[in-house]
Amino acid sequence: MTQDASATQPPALEMRGITKRYPGVVANDHIDLDVRRGEIHALLGENGAGKTTLMNVLYGLARPDEGRILLDGEPVEIAGPSDAIARGISMVHQHFMLIPVLSVAENVILGSETMSNRVFVDRAEASRRIGALAKSFGFALDPDAKVATLSVGQQQRVEILKALYRDARILVLDEPTAVLTPQETEEIFTLLRRLAADGRSIIFISHKLYEVLDIADRITVIRRGKVIGERRPRETTEKELAELMVGREVELTVDRGISHPGEPMLRVEGLRVADYRRHEAVSGATFEIRAGEILGVAGVAGNGQDELIEAIIGLRRSAGGHVILDGRDVTGFSPRRMNEAGTGYVPGDRHRFGLILAFPLYDNLVLTSYYRPPFAHWIVRDDKAILDSARAQVDRFDIRTPGVNVITSTLSGGNQQKVIVAREFDRSLKLLVLDQPTRGLDVGSIEFIHRQIIAKRDAGTAVLLVSAELDEVMEMSDRIAVMYRGRMVAEMDGRTADKSEVGLYMATGGREPATTEEGATP
Amino acid sequence: MTGKVRNVLALLAASVLVASACTSSGATTAPSTAPTGSNLKIGVALDVGRVDDKNFNQFSWEGAKQAADALGATANYVVPKDASDYDKNIQGFIDQGYNVVVGVGFNLGTAVVKAAKANPNVSFVIVDVAPCVDETGAPDSTFSCKGDASKLLPKLTGIQFQEDQVGYLAGIVAASTSKKGVIGQLGGVNSNPAVVKYLQGYILGAQSINPNIKVETAFFSTGDPVKAYGDPTWGKTFSAQFIPQKGVDVVFQVAGSTGNGALDAACDAGIWGIGVDVDQYLSYPNASKCIIFSAEKKLSKAVSDSIKAIAAGTAKGGVSLFNAANDGVGGSPLYNATAAGLPAELQGKLDTAFAAMKAGTLKTCPDKCGTWTAP
Amino acid sequence: MSGLAADARRLLARAVNLRLLQVVAEPVLAFVFALIVGGIGIALFSAYVPGHAAFDVGLPIAAYGSLISGFASPNGITSTLVYATPLVLAGLGVAIGFRGGLFNIGGRGQFLIGTVGAMAVVTWIGKDAGPWITIPLALLVGASLGGFAGFIPGFLKATSGAHEVVTTIMLNYVLLFVMAWAVIGPLALPGAPQPITADVSTRNGDLPIILGRDGHLGLLIALAAVPIMWFLLFRTTIGFEIRAAGANPDAARYGGMKTRRLIVLTMTLAGFMCGLAGATTLLGVVHEMTPGYDTTIGFDAITVALLGRSNPIGVALAALLLGAMRAGAQTMQIQAGVPPELVDALQAIILLFLVVNVLRRLMARRKRRPGKGEPAAAAAVPVAGVGIE
Repeated sequence: MTQDASATQPPALEMRGITKRYPGVVANDHIDLDVRRGEIHALLGENGAGKTTLMNVLYGLARPDEGRILLDGEPVEIAGPSDAIARGISMVHQHFMLIPVLSVAENVILGSETMSNRVFVDRAEASRRIGALAKSFGFALDPDAKVATLSVGQQQRVEILKALYRDARILVLDEPTAVLTPQETEEIFTLLRRLAADGRSIIFISHKLYEVLDIADRITVIRRGKVIGERRPRETTEKELAELMVGREVELTVDRGISHPGEPMLRVEGLRVADYRRHEAVSGATFEIRAGEILGVAGVAGNGQDELIEAIIGLRRSAGGHVILDGRDVTGFSPRRMNEAGTGYVPGDRHRFGLILAFPLYDNLVLTSYYRPPFAHWIVRDDKAILDSARAQVDRFDIRTPGVNVITSTLSGGNQQKVIVAREFDRSLKLLVLDQPTRGLDVGSIEFIHRQIIAKRDAGTAVLLVSAELDEVMEMSDRIAVMYRGRMVAEMDGRTADKSEVGLYMATGGREPATTEEGATP
Repeated sequence: MTGKVRNVLALLAASVLVASACTSSGATTAPSTAPTGSNLKIGVALDVGRVDDKNFNQFSWEGAKQAADALGATANYVVPKDASDYDKNIQGFIDQGYNVVVGVGFNLGTAVVKAAKANPNVSFVIVDVAPCVDETGAPDSTFSCKGDASKLLPKLTGIQFQEDQVGYLAGIVAASTSKKGVIGQLGGVNSNPAVVKYLQGYILGAQSINPNIKVETAFFSTGDPVKAYGDPTWGKTFSAQFIPQKGVDVVFQVAGSTGNGALDAACDAGIWGIGVDVDQYLSYPNASKCIIFSAEKKLSKAVSDSIKAIAAGTAKGGVSLFNAANDGVGGSPLYNATAAGLPAELQGKLDTAFAAMKAGTLKTCPDKCGTWTAP
Repeated sequence: MSGLAADARRLLARAVNLRLLQVVAEPVLAFVFALIVGGIGIALFSAYVPGHAAFDVGLPIAAYGSLISGFASPNGITSTLVYATPLVLAGLGVAIGFRGGLFNIGGRGQFLIGTVGAMAVVTWIGKDAGPWITIPLALLVGASLGGFAGFIPGFLKATSGAHEVVTTIMLNYVLLFVMAWAVIGPLALPGAPQPITADVSTRNGDLPIILGRDGHLGLLIALAAVPIMWFLLFRTTIGFEIRAAGANPDAARYGGMKTRRLIVLTMTLAGFMCGLAGATTLLGVVHEMTPGYDTTIGFDAITVALLGRSNPIGVALAALLLGAMRAGAQTMQIQAGVPPELVDALQAIILLFLVVNVLRRLMARRKRRPGKGEPAAAAAVPVAGVGIE
């Protein structure tokens, strides 16, 4: 570790020996962290490593059992979020805390000090000041626009603006890029660099290694509640960081190998699907996947991918078109019939669709097969068969759990996803539909799941992989299709595709200039 | 839990208790004040509701308490939570050595008769019910009443009132007060004989003053007991329409607390109201400024007299009728006489009629007494 | 049968494991808390009880003492069981709703319509059919009418999304009036001076007494309902579907379950249990109805289900607790002069405490979510709500 000679003044933030215990687990074990003025400090670690707990301590949401926090060299006690905000600490959550029906300006001033002093809010004055504030940091944002009309990237800027409005000196960003396109990510990085140059300190939480290397001045790696190491970007590599995080050697890119596509397995013809507002979200999607082939669908979130998948899998009614699986028209099949027809599905929102978090592991492992032998005879469940199968799957899919009786919500995100993968992969499949299968997972779990996908493909399954993570699509797909406003606008070979070209299709839908028509799919 | 939440909880809990603790006033009567050596233990099994309901529960209990005070006996009451407590509450008194059990109201009728049959050594009083038994002394659910309750269950007294007599008095007051010659009466339901007798007496009484008087009658409900007897808001809403529509300037209510709403509506409409069962000028001060009279069942006197008769060994089985003859019913004093412009001779007319009832020379009910037929 | 033995073993194992202890701790705390607050309340208002000074600390002790003596005797124990019977049945009805993610506040109406159904059977066929046909049929018809009363809000929710809290409450009033109408109309006893039904014991409709003075056959029905409901919920695919749809309807749908149909089924079962409670109470305890007949079982059952954590065994224990309190209330009133409303107040405090606690945990969960739930930390808090086996 190198000592910065110029750092004669105390760091903006020091956390010393922070320890936080929960029954049965030490979430933070004597963690030291210091962040200097004008520094972008990345906090890197797997899910469950203790990053969030540490930030909750900083934000006053959790009280440390041991350790001290110093701001500008002064020891402080942070009683709660409002106290943290008053001391210039702001957090930008992964899930935005914005009120969609209010304007940007209203969201920004909501709950801040200036409002509690008066009964009436001077909207004109507020929106003028907020517009000026945004401009001073070099981003354009209409202060009077309703938040609901903004893109995800713009909403994130509102969150940051909120922090700046409260004059945050220390800004914590929890996985800020998870929901952004590559272009938006680049824009937010520009903004963060500008903020740092302005003398603010930024804590950047992520597990995307290349991003961390790109943006951070310093990187602290946490594993199992402990600080494992501190690195500077130019002194380290993605591989080293990954190994620090996981604690063993990992392959960052699974070799997808050579595919041997067989007969067409899934054919989607002119599929039209409406979203929950009854707007057409999928406007005549047509594509084909062969047995033993991975088709990756790239696209900015919200371009109809969710609706496409839900229509294929039977969760949503299609308004037109056909889905043909292995020569059989399965359009309009229920989820159960699709399942019985040989389809596996890993939903994008695993907490909402994939798992019943309040249930034990073994129940989740039979969520789609509980009703049939060997797990049930007539209506009586066969607990022995369920438990035996669960134990076998826990072994086979390397699910890290104290036992199969464990309540699923207590597992880490990676292990939760492995539960879904075990349930969906562990039989012979014709089609595998994957929606963001590695979203929010750590590198170890990503590696494992990618291997399982490849294995499934090599066993002759047609794989539909939808991901907002362009890198994942690029790495995994035999063929890549780009979805834009409900249509497949491009298709290319997975091995030769160019990332920037795919990104361009994602952003504009093709080579024609970006359309500006009203009522665009958000 | 934060301290704040805890405080709020404690406050809430305490306020729940205030409501319940207040109802407990007079739950026991100290037997030490009048040591006359009486060994009576009097248990009063009330009906669902509250002991201070200004109605059957309250005045039955007060009667029992008066008797206990006079005799130096112990008295206690129990309020049931719902019908499944009736049997158990009566049995509870018997288990604890109570030797007089008073059941209040029609709903407890079967329970009291059953208990009387099962416990021949305990004295029972049932308020406002004529015990109806079959040949074996069990409750007769066909209501043909073939058995002679006074012989089969000699220690059971059924208190009944002659409502038409006081209804008659109310009719005299109403007809004497009315300037328009149109008076009203509001009953709970038309299937309840006690209600109907009041109303029938009222009509006859009014006609005795003014043969051409118009008596408008309405019922609060065709069957829902809550609307009939337990819903003052409904009573007020209903009456606020009834009064101007029918153009009445006096109204007589026979509908429990629903009827209290009718008295409120009378006040609002600037007309006069007549109360029922108890002296409502006293028991319902909300409307006392427009109550001129009440047709009273002397519930507490009836209960008290019945218990005293048991203590004295003079109690007979069967129905014990309370009427003008034994002062078991009667009119309240006249109130607001000047404001209402009551004729000076009104009290005299009431006294004369009451004396005639005592003498048994005044017919206060039509032949089908207790059965409502729309006039 | 070895399966049953295994179940028993597993149950025993669960009883000693720590998680269950945590689960039990909260209801017990709620009860103790209620006793303390109630005791303070009694002491504060002791001046209203004749023979007691203001702030008499002895009064709460005397009150609780007589409360206990009220149920701690052979007759008291029978009374406790009798009072607990409808609470168990209706409590299971509310609990299965909770398991299915539905809040059945319609217990009152379902109970009353169940009473009407049983009364109708006894009134119309009891004389001729004899007890062996009358009683089972009366219970079945009563329970089924209750089930129908649950089906309606279930169907409305499944087809139109009408919230069951609203529809069941509204239906309570409808059914209250249906009951009053039935008692005044078709079920009224001709010749009675006031509307009243027949006494079921005069028409072969009364449940036989099997225990003590008034312990009727319904006790056995309640006793049997507990393991049956447990089996249904935890050992059958239907129970799994109900619980899954309750815990996460989206995941249940994705798992191939017909969630709308499950809503209807769950509400029907819930109504069935409450209707059975009504029928059992009529045939076993009250025996006759007047138009004013009413019950607080519908709401007490909510307390029971919450206190019992929607677990059938917990429901049975909670029902026994409330039943004992009710059995002792009369003695407390007579001996200590403390009104029986105290028992209602205690029940209300328990409910408040439980509800506040559930809310608190829900809020804690919400708070944690933005931080993406560091899973290790989340593990420390047992999952909120009703879903603990």
